[in-house]
Amino acid sequence: MTAGPRVVGLRGLERSLALFHQALSDRPCSLVPYENDAHERQHPDTASSVRLPSHVQVPEAARTDAEWYRVAVAHRAMHHELGTFSFDLSRDEPFFRRLRPSVDLQERNPLEVFFGSFSRPVFAVEVFAALEDLRIDESVIRTWKGLRRPYNWVREDALASRPDLAELPPRTAAAEVLVRLSLGLDEIKVPESLRSPVLQLASVAAVLTSPKATVETSAEATVRAYSVLARLPNLGTATGPPTRVSLDGDDAELREQRSYSLGTKEVRLEGSEVFDVRFAPVRYRDVPGPRYLGQQASGMPLREAILRTTAEAPAPVESSEELSQKSQQAESGQVDVTNTARAAPPPEPLPHDHGPDLDGHHHATEGPLQATARGEYVYPEWDDVASAYLSDWCRVRESRPRIGGSAHVYRQAVMRHRHLLPELVAELRRVGSDGLRRVHRTRFGDELHLDACIEATVDLRVGVTPSEAIYTDVTRDARDVVVAFAVDLSSSTAERLPVDPRRPGEVRRILDVEREAVCLLVAALERVGDSYGIYGFSGTGRQDVRLRVVKDIAERRSPAMLHRIEGLRPEHTTRMGPVIRHLARKLKNDAAPTKLLMVISDGRPFDLDYGQQYGDEAVLPYALADTARALQEARDQGVRPYLVTVDALGDDYLRTICDPDEYHVLDDARGLPASLASLYLAARSRRRRNQGELTLR
Amino acid sequence: MPSISSGEAAAASLADEAPFYLPVHDEVDLFRTAYEQRIPVLLKGPTGCGKTRFVEFVAWDVRRRAALEGHDAAGLVTITCHDDMTAADLVGRHLLSAEGTYWQDGPLTSAVRNGGICYLDEVVEARKDTTVVLHALTDHRRMLPIERLGRTVEAHPDFLLVVSYNPGYQSSTKDLKPSTRQRFLAIGFDYPGEDLETEVIAHEARIDDETAAALARLGSRLRRLDKADVLEGPSTRLLIYAGALIGQGVDPLRACDVAVVQAVSDEAEVQDSVRGVAEAVFGT
Repeated sequence: MTAGPRVVGLRGLERSLALFHQALSDRPCSLVPYENDAHERQHPDTASSVRLPSHVQVPEAARTDAEWYRVAVAHRAMHHELGTFSFDLSRDEPFFRRLRPSVDLQERNPLEVFFGSFSRPVFAVEVFAALEDLRIDESVIRTWKGLRRPYNWVREDALASRPDLAELPPRTAAAEVLVRLSLGLDEIKVPESLRSPVLQLASVAAVLTSPKATVETSAEATVRAYSVLARLPNLGTATGPPTRVSLDGDDAELREQRSYSLGTKEVRLEGSEVFDVRFAPVRYRDVPGPRYLGQQASGMPLREAILRTTAEAPAPVESSEELSQKSQQAESGQVDVTNTARAAPPPEPLPHDHGPDLDGHHHATEGPLQATARGEYVYPEWDDVASAYLSDWCRVRESRPRIGGSAHVYRQAVMRHRHLLPELVAELRRVGSDGLRRVHRTRFGDELHLDACIEATVDLRVGVTPSEAIYTDVTRDARDVVVAFAVDLSSSTAERLPVDPRRPGEVRRILDVEREAVCLLVAALERVGDSYGIYGFSGTGRQDVRLRVVKDIAERRSPAMLHRIEGLRPEHTTRMGPVIRHLARKLKNDAAPTKLLMVISDGRPFDLDYGQQYGDEAVLPYALADTARALQEARDQGVRPYLVTVDALGDDYLRTICDPDEYHVLDDARGLPASLASLYLAARSRRRRNQGELTLR
Repeated sequence: MPSISSGEAAAASLADEAPFYLPVHDEVDLFRTAYEQRIPVLLKGPTGCGKTRFVEFVAWDVRRRAALEGHDAAGLVTITCHDDMTAADLVGRHLLSAEGTYWQDGPLTSAVRNGGICYLDEVVEARKDTTVVLHALTDHRRMLPIERLGRTVEAHPDFLLVVSYNPGYQSSTKDLKPSTRQRFLAIGFDYPGEDLETEVIAHEARIDDETAAALARLGSRLRRLDKADVLEGPSTRLLIYAGALIGQGVDPLRACDVAVVQAVSDEAEVQDSVRGVAEAVFGT
């Protein structure tokens, strides 16, 4: 707890805030920081990412560093909880006479259709966002008692930094009043000429404070507020003496405004006037982005999204001839609720819609990369030709595989190879771990178990065959081995294997046997208790090394994890270096004394830009050298790598980068499930040979 | 004045002992039907969602109905399973005494002989060779072979076996064998909805509805993190604990901290997020 205004940072709060978001909204998200000098409009949220400033100044009223960020995250979470993006054109709402268009959606998103019905979609989105933010914030304050106090100071702080009304043209000034209304302002001084429109806006906004207001209410309010604002000129400044206006929803003057009718004209453009008004963003809220047009995955600025989805491009400066023409068009009707003919939206997710941060980097062949989202990590790469590390060269992106419909793959694998399980478990128990524990009532052991002996004696006296399990055995405690399995998901794992003569109708791919092998080991590891993580890896270049996390090392086993195994799919390429570095880092952080990294692949390391810069001849040596370097880094961190390949030619290149007892080449991929288990045992035992005395816990 | 039968009087005297249980769906009716048909019942559900309370309630219900019909029914026998439990722990064993050896029925045998509901809590924790003794009891034979005596005990007509387990966190190696699992009618349990849970918390923790509703909302929000495999629960039981502390004057945030935050996770970041939700609910 600190006193006085201070700067607080997002770093260190990301995970707890992301979980906070998930608890409030039932949706996971990535928190993506942006720097303070960045323009906020460039950072709209997407369906799965929340963009927040990396640092904020908070006033003395803030009790903890997280309070400002919690308010910002709660606001975003409540967008989902209160259905902002589940807008339905046909759903009724209880407050307004319906002015929304009733159109055939033709598989288009209702938000896109709704905003497309305005002649100025960007402006309509801004108005809607301000009104919807009001509804959201009122609901948060009403339902989350504990957020009231931080919300109050965050909103007061936001109000204190709003632009000066006196310097704004009338339409922009009225829009600014709308934003202030959404921040809870209940009284304001405005020039006399703005008094009536401001009261009209306030009367519309007051409806949204009701607990019964829905996103459709916000949409109806938008039509009305848009109409009020559109009738105001956007040149010069508002006229008349300042007058105090009460914005309290219970005010009598405001109640009178409730029955106002929509104007008959939208706007009269004059001279070099620009229609669109840029609402000054409120820092703790998300800025309107493509989500408001139904493009959930896109993180581009709103105007660009409008350009991509509509035929209309709202230009900031237009010729007087064009303005005159548009003025006539605009004056021919009020809100254009019938104009829904828009260009079809682009496919989603858009190819480069990861956000403006990445623009220009996608096809880059030079320069370091940055981690721009949660679950992204950058690693260096060893450039063997230059004999130097390329710093921050590869970006590893962690994600979950698509969850399969069931644990069918796992169950089938265990069923198929169940004959291997008992021996494997027995072997695992035998080679066991360094820590020791006592197991009672065993058939073999170092000590007699007293209770079991008495029971056996009783059995003998009553003429029943006694149990032989009368010993206490000292066995190895299982919790000192941790292993990460990295499964190659390159496109070649989709290749079909020769048909097994014992199962003539069955077609299997390399990936299928990889998955089976991992399932079998998982079943065995569950029995003996070794910690493990399962990852699939692939990629499409150094900026996109994909790591599919089936089960993280620290994660507990769950039914979902078994489903994820089914979700592993063949993808693209095999860039091993960054994957080895990333998993070695994970293993390094684990407390278990034995750390194993098992890489299961079907071919040599290869990627789209993995040495190609030095010509085709250099590709394999370059990739092997980086992989070898990554393996050495892992060894240096106490992680013992073990490579298993089903590439029959694997020996040719693996012997150049590994010790002979660090890899194994399988001639027939179909033998992988049976072999992987024994190879794991071999790798585990190899480590034990080098250990010292055992300790009894 | 209408006369009261002795059965009605006995049932009325049992009314005061009724365990508090609010049905979520049709589980009580289902159980009654299963009991009438003597079909063994398997209860599946997360920890602290009310499985044990349900069994206590239906056992009481069985006794009350028996009293109304003018006869006594045995009570509930609960056995908490664990991986050191042997078949002898269930069935019984010979013991030594000054006079020699004598046979001591285990709790299962006792219930089989005397009737009533025998409840095996967390049955998958027991070793598979232990649960095999249940097989003859849970099919048409309804008998318990006691190997060491060389005898078979026929189940009392009122006997019913009920088992429970939590399919979420136990490892696959502890799943029930299909041969065991398919002898039971399975009733799935989950945490109640917010309204029902509010009622449960208010009753059990003896707190006002507003505080109970806040705890129920906290619980439902945190269970979203359970779905995401971040934490387990929190169970209704934990929320009742928190409510009980609040009811005794402990600050709500402190009560949530000790009863919920610390209980659901040891990870600092997860605890921070849980604390954040608790502060959003109870903060001032």
